Amino acid sequence: MLFYELSDVGFTYPGRKEQAIRNVSLQIGQGEKIALTGLNGSGKSTLAKLMMGILRAQQGAVNLEGKPVGSYTLPQIGSRVGYISQNPNIMFFNTSVLEEISFGLRWRGKSRAETGEIAKRYLRNFGLWEERERMPFNLSEGQKQLVAILSMLVLEPAYLILDEPTKSLDTLRKKQLLKTLEEVAQRGKGIIMISHDREFVQRFAGRKIRMKNGEVVADGT
Amino acid sequence: MALDIRTKIIITGTITAMALVYREPPVLALLCLISILLLFLFRTPVILYRRTLIYLFFMYIALIALQSVFVRSGTVLFGVGGIALLTTDGLMYGMSVTLRFVVFITAGMILIGCKRTELITALVKLRMPYEIVMMIQIGMRFVPLLTAELQDTLRAIQLRGVDLRKVYKKKVIKVYLGIFLPTVYMIWRKAEKMALLLELRGFRKYPDRTYYRKLTMGRQDYAALAGLALFSGAFIYAAAVFL
Repeated sequence: MLFYELSDVGFTYPGRKEQAIRNVSLQIGQGEKIALTGLNGSGKSTLAKLMMGILRAQQGAVNLEGKPVGSYTLPQIGSRVGYISQNPNIMFFNTSVLEEISFGLRWRGKSRAETGEIAKRYLRNFGLWEERERMPFNLSEGQKQLVAILSMLVLEPAYLILDEPTKSLDTLRKKQLLKTLEEVAQRGKGIIMISHDREFVQRFAGRKIRMKNGEVVADGT
Repeated sequence: MALDIRTKIIITGTITAMALVYREPPVLALLCLISILLLFLFRTPVILYRRTLIYLFFMYIALIALQSVFVRSGTVLFGVGGIALLTTDGLMYGMSVTLRFVVFITAGMILIGCKRTELITALVKLRMPYEIVMMIQIGMRFVPLLTAELQDTLRAIQLRGVDLRKVYKKKVIKVYLGIFLPTVYMIWRKAEKMALLLELRGFRKYPDRTYYRKLTMGRQDYAALAGLALFSGAFIYAAAVFL
């Protein structure tokens, strides 16, 4: 079964005349590695928000695992798809990095020891262990980006949608992220990455979807 | 009717002040009626008005009950086992407070259709100190900011697969308490950044500032203000004679 199926999707932001998304049709299978590219304002982030159910399509249908996205609640979608916004600040609501990473795990019934172990592993891998007691808002932009990504990665959702994940990352952290995403993909998880980082996209993605003025203009490997 | 915003501020202020001075339900009902008429006259969008009135109706019921039960005055209209549940004084008090709220809200809504920049410029023209006007302006910007911040936080929680509706109440309280501090911290940081940006752009470096928007009072404004003065005088006189 397809993981996502978008048919003839259209969306216009309230108060705007031009459609942000126009007649987008896409079929996304389980475990794909997709890069969503395009210029600023081409509709990439809007499409991601439609797929997450944060925005509702006014035209066409967005189906997740065969059912309309609108039939799921946000937590139901969140437990299937991990979405990392391009603005990490809106993703934080805990008082320390460690709590931020552990939050989702604890709510999924993992024991304190198990949660601590997983969080520690991820934080050490990305050189953030020393920062574990700091407030996420006070980290550098790159570190914030990583904490936001890790808070979703630890939950191992079936799919990850990352909006500009390499935006503020240095070369070393980009390499680490690429390696981690490869590992995640090897475990059969799907990844949709919105990015302007051509090199990162070339090295990572199997399928590339290009958008322009709200439309999909290219879709291939 | 297109009036200068200063005229609207003065009308709103006068009606609100009258509602504060008088507490007799017939007077407040009259003020209420006048405010509603003004809303239609100024063609103010009244989207939220109906919902607010429904809330006020419930507040009215609660006030009548509280006043009737706890203040032993007036004639008992309804009671159970010697406990007064509805008294004439309770009815009047509830009506008075509710009508006063309706007047405040309705009069305030006259200003809702106005542009924020116009409102700020008008307050400055009415000789309000610029620092206070600036605080009002920032305050007005902060309410939607606070709402957006809370919405983002709740969405971020849901996106991690946590459904707060399905969680034990005790745990929900824990979550809300947990997010309260970071949200307040985030807002405080935004306020700090805003203050810094204001300073960097030379806020209050010079004693005066210029305004792009010019407000001009026309004939209709002077006529409206004269009408307001006459009405207020007649109103105060009538209240003194008849109440």
